[in-house]
Amino acid sequence: MVAKKTMTLNLTDAEMRALDELCEKKDLSKTAVMRQALRLYQLIENRVEKGDKLFFEDEATKEKAEVMML
Amino acid sequence: MTITVSPVYLFNAVTNEAESAELWDGITEKQLGDWEGEWLPELFKSVQKLHRAGVERRHWPQSRHWNWRKKTEALQGMLAQPGFSIVCNGMTQGMMILDTVMKRCRIEQQKGKEIVYVDFVENAPWNRPDLHDPALYRGVGSVMINAAIAQSKELEFKGRIGLHSLPQANSFYANTCGMSDLGMDANYQNLRYFEMTSEQAEAFIAKGTQP
Repeated sequence: MVAKKTMTLNLTDAEMRALDELCEKKDLSKTAVMRQALRLYQLIENRVEKGDKLFFEDEATKEKAEVMML
Repeated sequence: MTITVSPVYLFNAVTNEAESAELWDGITEKQLGDWEGEWLPELFKSVQKLHRAGVERRHWPQSRHWNWRKKTEALQGMLAQPGFSIVCNGMTQGMMILDTVMKRCRIEQQKGKEIVYVDFVENAPWNRPDLHDPALYRGVGSVMINAAIAQSKELEFKGRIGLHSLPQANSFYANTCGMSDLGMDANYQNLRYFEMTSEQAEAFIAKGTQP
């Protein structure tokens, strides 16, 4: 197993509530949700940096909405 | 890039004995050198044999188009898409790239949950029974599926994994791995989609690594 490092994370009440909700919904620990968020953030940042665009598509209407990454 | 190496075993079909091997949690220049210098020439020889034997092109190994160097370079340092490789007797015997972020489960009982998706997995040409008779090492696919399950557990996805299978490997995923066959996927080159539940993952691990 890869060695891990520990850090303290300071969150507001609202951020902690959002994290708790995600943990409940995803059946994951807080650590697992934060690690998943980091992987996703890095992936999106990498693709956007290369000039790709990020879209959400409505499955029914096939309508696409671009997510603006600033 | 720090690589963790774990001991595994492959079955050598020539000596009829288990052989020590290594599972690397990465694809390095060593693997890419083996792919370019050993895998590709062997693969082209196999394709030439099939061509000369009059085998239809659609039955040729579809992974012949895969460029592991390009894939690896594009994903360098990306946490979401880790690579794995197996080394035995000083030679790369298999490579795999996972996607841990972009896919979700499709089986009803776990629909929408996080999953480790096997994006690419390939065995060295001399280990493939469809190209090489007899295949040299058996067990590469099982070691890779084990690694994907371990990654899924490490991320708290409880062993759930999924993949689209090339036609030559359908039986391996259905029968050896015990994955659920969700049929041909019209949105993915009509390849069959297989998914493993946590229960199926436990059953697969309990069986032990089998060729």
